[in-house]
Amino acid sequence: MSHSTTEHAHHWEVSWAPMVLTAGILFLVPLTFAAYFVYQNELNAIIFAGIGTPLVLIGISKWVSEGLTQKPLLAGVSPSALPFFIISEVFIFLGLFASYWTMRLSAGENWPPAGTPEHMNLVLPLIMTVLLVGSSLTYHVAEHHLDHDNLGGFRSWLMLTMLLGLLFLGCTIYEYHHLLGMNFGPSTNAYSSAFFSITGFHASHVIVGLGIFAAVLLPAFAGKTNKYFAFCAGLYWHFVDIVWFFVASQVYYW
Amino acid sequence: MSTESHGFNLKEWIFTTDHKRIGILYLIGSMAAFSIAGVMALMIRLEQSTLGPTLVHDVATGGSQYNVWLYFHGAAMILGFLIPGLTGFAANYFLPLMIGAKDVAFPRINAFSVWLFYAGIIMALLTFVIGDPPDVMWTGYPPYSLLTSGNTAFYVFTVHLLGFASILGAVNFLVTVIYMRAPGMGWNQLNMFVWSTVTAFVIQLVFVPVLASAVTMLLFDKYLGTHFFDPSQGGDVLLYQNLFWFYSHPAVYVILLPALGILFEVVATFSKNMVFNYKAAVYGGMWGIVLISGEVWIHHLYISGMPDWIRIGMMVSTLLISVPVGLLAISLFGTLYRGAITYTTAMKYATACLFLFLIGGLTGIPLAMTVMTVHLSETSFVHAHFHYIMGIFATFSVFAGVYYWFPKMTGKMPGEKMGNLGFWFNFIGVNITFFPLFIIGIEGMPRRYWNYEMFPQFEPFHKIATVGAFLVAIGMLLTILNWIISAISGEKSVANPWKSVSLEWTHCPNPPGPGNFPKDVVVSADWTPYNYGR
Repeated sequence: MSHSTTEHAHHWEVSWAPMVLTAGILFLVPLTFAAYFVYQNELNAIIFAGIGTPLVLIGISKWVSEGLTQKPLLAGVSPSALPFFIISEVFIFLGLFASYWTMRLSAGENWPPAGTPEHMNLVLPLIMTVLLVGSSLTYHVAEHHLDHDNLGGFRSWLMLTMLLGLLFLGCTIYEYHHLLGMNFGPSTNAYSSAFFSITGFHASHVIVGLGIFAAVLLPAFAGKTNKYFAFCAGLYWHFVDIVWFFVASQVYYW
Repeated sequence: MSTESHGFNLKEWIFTTDHKRIGILYLIGSMAAFSIAGVMALMIRLEQSTLGPTLVHDVATGGSQYNVWLYFHGAAMILGFLIPGLTGFAANYFLPLMIGAKDVAFPRINAFSVWLFYAGIIMALLTFVIGDPPDVMWTGYPPYSLLTSGNTAFYVFTVHLLGFASILGAVNFLVTVIYMRAPGMGWNQLNMFVWSTVTAFVIQLVFVPVLASAVTMLLFDKYLGTHFFDPSQGGDVLLYQNLFWFYSHPAVYVILLPALGILFEVVATFSKNMVFNYKAAVYGGMWGIVLISGEVWIHHLYISGMPDWIRIGMMVSTLLISVPVGLLAISLFGTLYRGAITYTTAMKYATACLFLFLIGGLTGIPLAMTVMTVHLSETSFVHAHFHYIMGIFATFSVFAGVYYWFPKMTGKMPGEKMGNLGFWFNFIGVNITFFPLFIIGIEGMPRRYWNYEMFPQFEPFHKIATVGAFLVAIGMLLTILNWIISAISGEKSVANPWKSVSLEWTHCPNPPGPGNFPKDVVVSADWTPYNYGR
């Protein structure tokens, strides 16, 4: 994207990163899912995931490296763009929550439906809240270091942030394992449908957030950073953090 | 369609991040979807041309076979042609030119959008490869979509991929318009098409995600065993219809708005007139539609069951849509008033659109009214109504746009003779196809039936409609052929063949090179894209 701002650019801009990333997504998500869940063909699922994963990783790496080295047409506009994307994300969550509320409110006295464990673990989500809020704070410190050009401090605090995020995911895995062991899975009842869909969808956002952090961290080891990129990564993470309050309050504590 | 100075370089096309080339990629992909979905339409019409089985070879499973055609026709026309044709092709190519920008704010994300669109098209095309194609219309209503042996997952992923492309496009274009307008360009100096794209993308940004969540729950219900739409387990089957139409009613405005935007450009240029009532059309008409679009969706559920007070409320909000739509229509007709009108092929399509807009719009009113709609719901009246307003109106608008901007994109003039012939085939054909459906709809012809042996009185009307469909097919072939021939060997165009005063014609070559404008664009306070001095 080496646009010259003052005079006419004389060549067509190209990047193969978006196309490779898309091909990867096509294999990794729809085709793998269909092979595994629709056609029950594990081998094909593994093959599709095996093709998709490297393509996604290559696409993202190329994209990030271009973003860090090339001069954009309009610098510094991404912090204004991400909030638009977040509006979209909010509405995806709203769709899920609206469905949950509909089921819940129409159930009346029959809630929680049969099959729900007598005592859901309500301590774990508290720990998870602390982990996620903590990670938002640590990232704030990381950004502070970046603003003062302390790259070492930035990397350390970013790694701490990611560690907290990973611990959060660990809690999710532990909890899912525990609940599935109690025969409480996605197909158990209306509550479990909403529970696993909403927490799972949130967890997928945590994974994406960690992926974005990895894309900020790895180049930072080579001394390459972009403060707008780092800011956007943080903004997304804070958003995921805030959504968690709604997830926790609605599906655990209500 | 390569530039004169550079020659054709495949790598520069498929890896491009340039908004104009991405626009052309959108055009090619959406026309491909249009063509295949058009063939499906012909098969549907052929099937209905006789009472019993016509094309279906197995009467027992004929319904399922027919449903696959309906699925592909609907999904590919709306999600693969209309939305990407308007907000993908037209917005990509012309919006940055109209605001004097060198490209969009995020060129790589733009390329990502177009390839996600192609991935969605590939998912849709797999319909013809797999043994259990999706057969769920474009709506995917449970419980059928959950119980069918068809592959509902591919429907869901098609929606996901195209929806993701739309959301990224929305972010990209909203930021582009906010931050990349040429110095001096105020909000009241934007082209109508720019405003229409902005408002369409605002709708996409807010409503597409809800559709994504609805189809995701469908996927989970069918393949992971959740119970969102299963009443026996505490789910709600109407929940899906609510979520689906919460997006899909506003989606018709995502199509309507940019289609109107193109018409404004074409009508103003070929009438050499200011846009009449600009501010009322933009702030009242377009933003009015955005404001109301999210409060009308329940009218799609009139006969699915709801309390009466919601029915009345929805009737009011639905009829209220006529106000902003009326403002836009007045503005369009007012722009023609005392204009110096030239009837090029583009202008013919635009004027035809005004006619289709009236028929399609006015037939929407009885459907909004609860007393009428119980009778008309699920009849071919509905089918004819939305084909007039959404199908044909928007398609003709895309065609008007392609003819209007053809010299800009290719540097060649579009062939008028063949264009004219194609236009008349199309215009006469669509009316012969869809007008009979209004008549038999009022008399009770149900939608979506492949076998209507219980209604023999409707067969002659279906035969007429089928003849009309083949006239349209001829018209479409002529039109697409005309574009290809003209792009290759058309007469060379002068710089500004239609004498427009809009930036995309006055400030950059045909076709624009990398970076669009030879010199940076600055506009003065009294500049407008419609200043014809009349």
